[in-house]
Amino acid sequence: MYGWIWRHLPGNAWVRALLSIVLVLAVVYVLFQYVFPWAEPLLPFNDVTVDGQ
Amino acid sequence: MRLLVRTFSELCITAGALVVLFVAYLLYWTGVQADSASAAQIDTLQRAWTDTPVAAAPAPARVRTPYVTGKGIAVMYVPRLGRDWKWPVLEGTGPDVLKQGLGHYTRTAGLGDTGNFAVAGHRRTHGDPFKDFPRLRRGDAIVLTDGTTWFTYRIDRGPYRTVPGDTAVVDPVPRKSGFDGPGRYLTLTTCDPEWGSSHRLIVWAHLDATRPVTDGRPQALDS
Repeated sequence: MYGWIWRHLPGNAWVRALLSIVLVLAVVYVLFQYVFPWAEPLLPFNDVTVDGQ
Repeated sequence: MRLLVRTFSELCITAGALVVLFVAYLLYWTGVQADSASAAQIDTLQRAWTDTPVAAAPAPARVRTPYVTGKGIAVMYVPRLGRDWKWPVLEGTGPDVLKQGLGHYTRTAGLGDTGNFAVAGHRRTHGDPFKDFPRLRRGDAIVLTDGTTWFTYRIDRGPYRTVPGDTAVVDPVPRKSGFDGPGRYLTLTTCDPEWGSSHRLIVWAHLDATRPVTDGRPQALDS
């Protein structure tokens, strides 16, 4: 999987490394900004009310 | 075969990294966001309060503008939870509201009114506002201000442990609180155990004193 991505990135090793870092950061950003906030209410530690709202 | 094993291990590593990132998000990032969001909410409140002249306030039949979901209504101080412990109370108890501060149960009474001003807050994550909730004791002060008045509530009973469906704890005269008639009460709710959601912790308080903000901070904050 990661090997496949690496082979399909353009440029030499340095450019690919840089692109990889950018890709990783983009993934982390999407996770923190959209995926985790969505997933969080599905987990139990945020139910602090007594009427289940 | 090799490709299969390699892909499988890569997926496992990815899943592991995902879990670590999620834990980092919960423990650290939600706190960072809650700090800035609650500071911004307090800022908005204080700006609104300085914009409206306080002199107009002490009229006894003061009409309060209705609370708007997601908007700040007061700032809460609980000296027992820390000298610097200060959180905005916003209207509503939805997840988006509780991310930014404490939430006022919409169907409960207004601040300082007859009835029960009920407030929920996170025990853990999102700034951990009620992390030390079990340390609250009878007689502890819970101080709130709405920009015109300081309200000092005193805890009567708690922390009381109950189940999530026990909505009677936010009733105007909460059952099991020991209050025997209508009054100006306050209820705080959070989850228990710390990281779980099987139970709720409750404290009840009654309004002990009020003073106009023009008279300065109540003593309870500095003792």
